[in-house]
Amino acid sequence: MVRFEDVVLRYGNGPEILKRISLEFDPGSYHFLVGASGAGKSSLLRMMFLGQRPSAGRVALFGRDVAGLSRRETALLRRRIGVVFQDFRLLDHLTARENVALPLHISGQARAHSTKDVEELLGWVGLADHMDALPQTLSGGQKQRVAIARAVIGRPSLLLADEPTGNLDDRMAVRLLYLFEELNKIGTTVVIATHNESLVERFRHPITRLRDGEALEVPEGSGPARHPGRRGEPTLRDGI
Amino acid sequence: MARKRSRQPVPLDRDASGRYLPVLVAIMVYLAALALAGALSFNKLAERWDTGLAGALTVQVPAESRASQDGPELNALVSALSATPGVLSVEPMELGEMTALLEPWLGDTVFAIDLPLPRLIAVTIDPGAGVDIEALRQKLQEVAPGSLLDDHQRWLARLLDLAQAIEIMAGVVVVLVVFAACIMVAFVTRMGLAAHDQAIEVLHLIGAQDSYVARQFQNHALSFGLRGGLLGLACAIPTLYLVRVLLQRIDSGLLPELSLRPYEWPLLVLLPVAAALITMVTARITVMRTLARMP
Repeated sequence: MVRFEDVVLRYGNGPEILKRISLEFDPGSYHFLVGASGAGKSSLLRMMFLGQRPSAGRVALFGRDVAGLSRRETALLRRRIGVVFQDFRLLDHLTARENVALPLHISGQARAHSTKDVEELLGWVGLADHMDALPQTLSGGQKQRVAIARAVIGRPSLLLADEPTGNLDDRMAVRLLYLFEELNKIGTTVVIATHNESLVERFRHPITRLRDGEALEVPEGSGPARHPGRRGEPTLRDGI
Repeated sequence: MARKRSRQPVPLDRDASGRYLPVLVAIMVYLAALALAGALSFNKLAERWDTGLAGALTVQVPAESRASQDGPELNALVSALSATPGVLSVEPMELGEMTALLEPWLGDTVFAIDLPLPRLIAVTIDPGAGVDIEALRQKLQEVAPGSLLDDHQRWLARLLDLAQAIEIMAGVVVVLVVFAACIMVAFVTRMGLAAHDQAIEVLHLIGAQDSYVARQFQNHALSFGLRGGLLGLACAIPTLYLVRVLLQRIDSGLLPELSLRPYEWPLLVLLPVAAALITMVTARITVMRTLARMP
């Protein structure tokens, strides 16, 4: 699914942000990227959603080397990737409903079909009463849920989330991670970057630790989620 | 309370840079409509001159020639001209007609009879009969020495050259207007791309192709271009009507009438559509080229 081989990233002539990173995430797996701010988590994720090309080394997604992708191929590949950005990146002039529907609109899915899916998903994330709200009228947590809904509406094969719990209290953060687990159960590969290690420790998923641009821990043989839900844990349908 | 807002992923209708686009397109269409109407009118005027003078010859018999007076010499000249194959009619102008022609310049107090006026003979020939003008000139010299035969070709050629030059200039104006419109639309589009770079980046990151982004801009440009084009045409039509009324008041056969034929009106009506399409295509090309240069 995701394969990095000796990947180096630097901006211009600056220092190396990522230093010879090699890792591999299998299809259907669930991973945490942890590390302090500035460790390189966001840069690593950015390369996974093709927002940044490596300065050296090889990045392959879905079995394809990203170096040779045309702009069109890049766009088509991105449609298979859902991203929850740290700063949400919602379009301020669109309602929650329109923001969530964007990936479907972009991929040319029929409006009637997509409207139903969008409303259902916004209901799942607890925003049934805020579908027509503009982002600036929503709280940080609500914006984050809109961003999550937008990331998953297209049923991506790979879900990337950059500090998705940053604006949420602990209880909400845990529920969000269980939501991602639900998605993982239906085959989505999930990669979550977070600095909240205490939260991560409550889940038993492979952890890749980054420090000063180096991957210190890369668990081997990271297969599908080994702890597919526990009794009493909230499911996707329960909402957050 | 629900409020009206754009449904487009790129909120181009909020751009200050694009706000004046319809006005600029309106000005362009206005200028193009005037130039096009001018070109069509001069084309028609040239046709009128050409067909009006085709087959018309004028014979000038000098005043000192006996053939300039009514009498057997003039009759002989008329007979000689009439006998020429291809000549349809020969009509010597009467003195009264010639003084009437001179009256606007010399005034009604001047009697042409006191002036040594040449006698004019209007000759109509069949344009398709291939009348040998040089042979006719020689025959005239034999019957009435000193007579001149004017087939109006030199004068007509100069007028037609003038009309053609005006047509070409009008065409150049239209081309320049289109060129200026393209530059303007490209500039506004680039400003829009810069203003909405963050929204465009988000669209790209969630899988939008360049063509999707371009579609946002081209649809916006099409709408603004059409609105501006209709406004420009709406302003051009009263202007053309006013110019037409002023030309009719002058009532000169040398000036164009500025009245369009039925099949020429659609050309004017198509101007807003053409402006909208040019605006749309320019916006699309600008977006596609600009995005293609991005990493």
